[in-house]
Amino acid sequence: MTTVDVASRLDIEDLSRSFGETKALRSATLRVAPGEIHSLAGENGSGKSTLIKILSGVLRPDSGTLTWEGDVKRHLTSPSGAQAMGISTVFQETLFAPEMTVRDNIFLGTDGLFRYGRRKGAELDTARQALSGLGLDGLDVDRPMWMLSLAERQLVTIARAIVRPWRLLVLDESTSALDAQQRDRLFDYLRQARSEGKSVLFTSHRMDEVLGLADRITVLRQGTTVTTLAVGEASRRGILGHMSGRADTAGIVSAAPAPRREEGRPRDAAGTLVLHTEELTLRPSSQPISLEVRAGEILGLAGLEGQGQVEFVECLSGLRKPVSGQLAAFGANGTAHPVRSYGGANRLGIRYVPRDRRHEGLFGPLSVFDNFAVTLWGDFNRFGLLRRQQVKKRFADFAESSRLVSASPGRAISTLSGGNQQKILLGRWIAMRPRVLVVNDPLRGVDANTKEELYGLFRRLAADGVAIIYLSTEITELLTLTDQVAVFHEGSVVAMLPSQTSSDTDVVAAMFGDEHHANPQRPGTHQAGAGG
Amino acid sequence: MASVLSGQARPPALSSPAVARLVRRNTYLAVPLALLIALFIANAIVQPQFLSQQSWAASMAVLCPTVLTAMAVTLPILSGNGGIDLSVGPLAGFITVLIAAVLVPAGISSQLIIPIVIVFGLLSGALNGVLIAYVRLPAIIATLGMYLFYEGLGTEVLPEAGGSVPVWLVKLDGSYGPIPAVWVVFAVIAVVWLLLTRGSYPRNLLSVGGDERAAYTAGVNVSRLRVVTYALGGAFAALAGLMLAGLIQGGDGTVGPPYTISAITAVALGGISLAGGRGGLLGGALGGVVLFLIQELLTDAKVSVYSVSVVNGVVLILALALNGTAEYLRRKSAAAKQGQG
Repeated sequence: MTTVDVASRLDIEDLSRSFGETKALRSATLRVAPGEIHSLAGENGSGKSTLIKILSGVLRPDSGTLTWEGDVKRHLTSPSGAQAMGISTVFQETLFAPEMTVRDNIFLGTDGLFRYGRRKGAELDTARQALSGLGLDGLDVDRPMWMLSLAERQLVTIARAIVRPWRLLVLDESTSALDAQQRDRLFDYLRQARSEGKSVLFTSHRMDEVLGLADRITVLRQGTTVTTLAVGEASRRGILGHMSGRADTAGIVSAAPAPRREEGRPRDAAGTLVLHTEELTLRPSSQPISLEVRAGEILGLAGLEGQGQVEFVECLSGLRKPVSGQLAAFGANGTAHPVRSYGGANRLGIRYVPRDRRHEGLFGPLSVFDNFAVTLWGDFNRFGLLRRQQVKKRFADFAESSRLVSASPGRAISTLSGGNQQKILLGRWIAMRPRVLVVNDPLRGVDANTKEELYGLFRRLAADGVAIIYLSTEITELLTLTDQVAVFHEGSVVAMLPSQTSSDTDVVAAMFGDEHHANPQRPGTHQAGAGG
Repeated sequence: MASVLSGQARPPALSSPAVARLVRRNTYLAVPLALLIALFIANAIVQPQFLSQQSWAASMAVLCPTVLTAMAVTLPILSGNGGIDLSVGPLAGFITVLIAAVLVPAGISSQLIIPIVIVFGLLSGALNGVLIAYVRLPAIIATLGMYLFYEGLGTEVLPEAGGSVPVWLVKLDGSYGPIPAVWVVFAVIAVVWLLLTRGSYPRNLLSVGGDERAAYTAGVNVSRLRVVTYALGGAFAALAGLMLAGLIQGGDGTVGPPYTISAITAVALGGISLAGGRGGLLGGALGGVVLFLIQELLTDAKVSVYSVSVVNGVVLILALALNGTAEYLRRKSAAAKQGQG
């Protein structure tokens, strides 16, 4: 093992990358020194994953420079190219070939097309050493991957990265499946590597991990590097403030948020109970969730990617079965009905608007009208013959009352902008007159004006007594629109924050599992995350 | 590199016997092997002369194109992501035309015919691979195009079956001196198989078939692997064509296409996941033999040619359904395993 003596191992300057209209990375700057453990922090959509994909050779940047141990590069050619340079990456998703053995999965990609990269004996030695370094001494390297537990699989993908001759190890949320002991073992390994002059760059959704392991932290927000801090000089609150974008100056805090929901609207007392979860458990290891949703309430759901919020809305809409616990919807007369399937949820008036418009929502080649009407034909037919005129009237009503539809009904929906598509998709479900509307990140990729219009629509729906469960990745949006926000962390609800009195930083703190700073207030009707 | 890793005392060299490993690695062969034995016994009972030496050599010569086209289509299927090569049958058929109507009349010497045919197959397969890996056409469409191309070209070049092939090819169902000719062919196949499976190629192929993104991010050159895989498949199909030319003692553009379907059926019978990532060349070969034994039984029962086709269809669907069920059960047990983790 040779450690190159350089002042800076990795030096990223002004890197940017767009996907179509979306600027995932605007201006990322990052400097990783030899012998340093560096944390990359930021909310959802801050550009962490894009930056890591560029570093691992999966993506190419649009502009900016990347200097590796003194060599200026425009981009890395491929994953194998990055590895040859000494950058080894463990991706957020545990990627493996399920039918192949542990050994094969560890040495994947180290071979030529027909010739092995190293002899079998050398492979066995290296694999066992790497695995025992990670605490998997007894693991049979000839076992197929699919027989392993989640934690073992994640450790094997880490072993895959560390058997390569790395000088920068990139870990993207690589500890999510590990227990505390396994994590400590991994961190010991990383600290040992640091003492040998190697560098580590990692992301984590656990604030404790970030503060406990990193020497320095670089904070990204909306694709731009906000700051790099030494761990000693920053407070938790300060770091969280940088991530949420509320820490720069005192003025921004009061200036930035859009007007909050109008106050004084009676809801908690007036609204009848429409949905109730009792000890709903999303994952075997997570805390049960018990909460109530009332008519006219907008409940926000927040969390970093993959923390259970999507599983939760899928449970609510009957698409997924919870590990345990009950979910009941209340009919107009107040009787409780358990929700057992998607069809059942629909009959109870729970309507789910999925996240992925193109694949789970729209029929691209069909017209605006057909896309709107698809949910209505079940109700508007006589002996199987469609009653087109009545549905047309419903469409006209919706277009007028919502002031949302400007396109002619005969146009193919694929020719509309994202915002207008979303309006039609929402309209389809609203036309069904739902009791509970479950929306999964509805304003993703929607322009600012349409957003305002849709906020108005959601507020009017709530005023009409519809309960709205609103999952969003944008914290400001959640605080603007909802009554309160349930924050998910590792499959459990860790905080119920009233939107009126909570700050962006409170939400971010809870998202990173930083309970000291999460607002402990829990409204009387909601007992979320109550253990046991 | 080893010094990088925090060192611990090494456990003994082998924790489980090599035999156990071999079995675990090839569990997918259990069903085709059982079928093979059962059908072999059934054939021997129904048709006592089945076991006689003379019948064997001829049978195996008939068997060879089925087995080789099955192996040809096995490789693309293992590469996953909808990988398949429908053109193997028509390519084999066209090879018979190429030999009988082009190479032999042009006076190409016998020794050169084999390398020409193999290179032709390699290039044809590589073209499939480029269309799929770089032009990004769906494999089923790209290779269907090649299917139609070879089917048409074969009958265009040689409208009526005929032509002549070298004597050594015709003697494939006989023997070279004391050695039955098919044994030579089998030996060649075995050597190719050994060459392909001793190195890292299976690891690369099965990882791409198992999870393409895992393979790519780990550093496997996925596109290049695909091209090579389809090229190898083309070479196997070309070898099948060579055998076929010997069997029918000439060229015939219409003889190839049915082999595509029999090859896919054989792959399904060989316990290979049509989704890729699970199985091996041996499975394709065994599946080919099983299919052949089924057809032998039917022929012996004097079932009409059309009914044979009906049975082929039923066998294909049954084999796929069985594979699907097995896969489902395995997934379920894997999910149960995950739940514990």
